[in-house]
Amino acid sequence: MVGPLIPMGVIPEAWDNVFAVMLGMGFGFVLEASGFSSSRKIIGTFFGYDFVVLKVFFTAAITCMLGLLYFSYLGWIDYSMLYIQPTFITSAIVGGVVMGIGFSMGGYCPGTSFAALAIGKLDALTFTGGMFIGVFLFSEAFPIFEKMYNSGNLGGMLVTDSLGISTGLFAFLLVVAAVGMFWGATWVERKVKKVEY
Amino acid sequence: MDRRYTILAILLIVAAFGLVILPGGKNSKELTPKELLLSINEQARFVSTDQVTERIIERDPSLQLIDVRPANEFAVYALPGAINIPLDSIASPGSRELLSSGSRDKVFYSNGDIESDLAWQICARNKYQRVFVMKGGLNYWYETIVKGVEPSTTASSDALELYKFRVAARQFFLGSKTEDQNLDQKNAVSKTKTIKLEKKPQAGTGGGC
Repeated sequence: MVGPLIPMGVIPEAWDNVFAVMLGMGFGFVLEASGFSSSRKIIGTFFGYDFVVLKVFFTAAITCMLGLLYFSYLGWIDYSMLYIQPTFITSAIVGGVVMGIGFSMGGYCPGTSFAALAIGKLDALTFTGGMFIGVFLFSEAFPIFEKMYNSGNLGGMLVTDSLGISTGLFAFLLVVAAVGMFWGATWVERKVKKVEY
Repeated sequence: MDRRYTILAILLIVAAFGLVILPGGKNSKELTPKELLLSINEQARFVSTDQVTERIIERDPSLQLIDVRPANEFAVYALPGAINIPLDSIASPGSRELLSSGSRDKVFYSNGDIESDLAWQICARNKYQRVFVMKGGLNYWYETIVKGVEPSTTASSDALELYKFRVAARQFFLGSKTEDQNLDQKNAVSKTKTIKLEKKPQAGTGGGC
């Protein structure tokens, strides 16, 4: 847990790994319970018959965002103490493309593949095996990719900083966009032929 | 769309709109003037020249010395391991990443107290953590560590111990040269020990689905 409870000393740092395991188990449980252990459900996003992935992840993102911003407003959370992952723009684009291709071909992302593996799916076993081979090859070939990997560091940049708009306005626009997307996804689902799986 | 989902969507939009119309949050990124004044009265931000010297000698990895003097003065002499961020660059976006990092103790120094304390105030106002000021600056560091006056024989044992430490520290920084040779020696020390500020990629936490 990066923050804010451990840096503020509310919880000792030794509990870090315990929380990591508990949160990981909770995350895996929710993925499985939401049906994300089925590659056909995930791949439905690309074929237009099931947008549950899009809906679940966007709902999680906007709920978390609203919670954080209201907690920060009420003074319950020190928003400035949250760790902002630095943006490496080049590797983010290249990694996004590679991840997207793997996602659409395999029907899993890393987290969901482990959730599916946990219930004994053979396609998930193949996927995670391939993932480890990929990790190994990337590690061995790292000197070739190193320059690209570290290029385009924009630091802990936020969309609100780069656009120069307030956090509240950005949150509102994102929620409106997400709700519009949910409505559009449901409309597409109705138009596309149902797939039984 | 299902009626329940319609209601939930409306609730989300209303909650998000609330964020647009709410006045500035209580938990702003900056200290209020009152909080800043209170923190300026606190003396906890000061570290002594002896404490800094001890940590330099021990090569404490959690110490980051920051020289806030102009670059030309930094080039002439600086403490070992120090990086140069002139006072007028403290608030620049390039310095923000280093200064806002909570993983090291950032100790400002200048020739005296004034510039380093101003740098501290900029950081304190931005709520940067683990930021300190070397009390007395380089002038006092020179007075205590390099020159160091021997206490009288009737001085307290603490004062005698401190003097012994300062003599040992002097040898660490300047070798066994006499005091007259020290000034010439200083430049050589500084040129070999100072490092440049480089933006290194951070190893952050992982994420994703």
